[in-house]
Amino acid sequence: MTVAGLRERAALWLLAIPMAALALSCVYPLFFAVNNALKTNKAYILDRFGIVAEPTLQNFVQAWQRSHLDAYFLNSVIVTVGAVALLLIVASLAGFALACLRFPFRRLIFIIILAALMIPVQVVLVPFYKTIIGLGLLNARVGLIVSYTAFFLPFSVYLMTAFYSGLPHELVEAGRIDGASLGQVWWHVMLPLGKPALITLAILNTLYCWNDVLISLLVLQKDRTLMVGIAALKGEYTTNVPLLTAGIIIAALPIVALYVVFQRRIVTGIAVGAVKG
Amino acid sequence: MVRRSIAKRSSLEPRTRIDAAAREEHRFAYLFVLPAVALVLVFRIAPLFWGFVLSLTNSNGVSHADFVGVANYVAIARDPTFRDAIANALILIATLPVWVLLPLLIAILIHAGVPGSRLFRAVYFFPAVLSSVIVGSIFNVLLRYDGSLNAFLKDLGLAPVDWLGAPATALGSLIAVELWSTFGMSVLIFLAGLSTVSKEMLEAARLDGAGLWQTWFLVVIPSLRPIIEFVAVVTTIGVLTSMFGLIYVLTAGGPGTATTLPEFLIWLEQGKMNQPGYAAAISMVLFLLMGGLAWLQIRIMSRNANL
Repeated sequence: MTVAGLRERAALWLLAIPMAALALSCVYPLFFAVNNALKTNKAYILDRFGIVAEPTLQNFVQAWQRSHLDAYFLNSVIVTVGAVALLLIVASLAGFALACLRFPFRRLIFIIILAALMIPVQVVLVPFYKTIIGLGLLNARVGLIVSYTAFFLPFSVYLMTAFYSGLPHELVEAGRIDGASLGQVWWHVMLPLGKPALITLAILNTLYCWNDVLISLLVLQKDRTLMVGIAALKGEYTTNVPLLTAGIIIAALPIVALYVVFQRRIVTGIAVGAVKG
Repeated sequence: MVRRSIAKRSSLEPRTRIDAAAREEHRFAYLFVLPAVALVLVFRIAPLFWGFVLSLTNSNGVSHADFVGVANYVAIARDPTFRDAIANALILIATLPVWVLLPLLIAILIHAGVPGSRLFRAVYFFPAVLSSVIVGSIFNVLLRYDGSLNAFLKDLGLAPVDWLGAPATALGSLIAVELWSTFGMSVLIFLAGLSTVSKEMLEAARLDGAGLWQTWFLVVIPSLRPIIEFVAVVTTIGVLTSMFGLIYVLTAGGPGTATTLPEFLIWLEQGKMNQPGYAAAISMVLFLLMGGLAWLQIRIMSRNANL
């Protein structure tokens, strides 16, 4: 190796030190939460930073049962699964039509759907809330499912359209020559072909729905979802940090698991969605 | 690309069959886009127009509303809370260079092959998948006055700081936590961009005797320009519209109005329920701010989708 090459390597090793420190800071808060969730409140007050000496699951049990996280968890699961399923169906139907079919106003319709990106929920908070009430969807899980679909849809339609327009057109044609209707082409050809993009969208939309708090606060004011429940827990148990952190771990666990299993897909999905489409 | 393949197909079919087939294709196409269009129209586009109309009335949510022109806009312009929210948003936007340059630098280092770069990439992105409520709740425990950071400072013999409770530090703390939880996303986007920088150009620069710095500044950074633009736009939209959860659990907009950003102010006004017109007017201002930014984003996206 040349002298310059050696110096470059040495510089990179030096730079790895602050980068490792930054990496530690990214996982420390979660470690802090797990560590303290396993302590009794007394043990936490006596020693916040020490590694837990006598781990107890008491906080998890209490958060799950007494603080109703079990009900909130179920709510979040129902709403997330429903919204993600609806998103995938609606987005792949629209993406198929926009990418593979020819019809008047195709471009305009694509622009209208994308234009909704310019309207985040904060911008329409009051009329959106009135719309939900008007449609009788307030405090209904289906109302939250439909709301999530409406708010996370544009990116999903965009991604499906981009994905389908990159497929060879012969595949769609082959389905039609067999005498299948376009509905059958969508079900038997486009859905299976779209699997890579649909899986990416399923994961990303699961993150968005599970993590949302604002839309959920508006639409489900009686049955809380998990994130709203955690925000409330934070207010109720300011002095019981171990209980609060146990709730946090319960709420974060599904997402952490999803990230560990699908890390590569999430990482490429987000980067591809952002840059290339 | 779509258009080209469609044209090729049509020319292969006999003329007579085209009309019936095309009509059927139209029918199905409209049926397929209908759910998406309906959802977007009912929950986003129609409410936007409704909100605009509301913002021109003195609706109180109960009795009959009168048209009052721009009175609500004049009122919010005079409202010190609204001014504080806009000032906070401007401070936030002024920190944009950090949001772009820090991830760019990190992405360059990862791309250059710092030891452990694969692990760093995965770990840096990790906070971005957590809900803002999770991030906010943990940092609330860490940063509040009787929190862990101050306990740590005390152990070191330093004076405690009221990170979330003092006007001077609250907004900075909020911005720092948001930056911490989202910078990994921008790192990823930059890495995707870096992987497309042409190897030939880098090789050519090297053969021409360009040093490491020259290569970066004259070849790599210029070819990343579209990505840098994209990250700047997406980040600005993100900080203006996705900090609600964090504000909600970390500072609740306080102390006073120190961390009240426009999106949180809309929430507060909406919650009062007695003057939806006023809240709608604030929404419209945020929309104008957002609209320009999002338009840029859509142009970048539709350019990339080849439509």
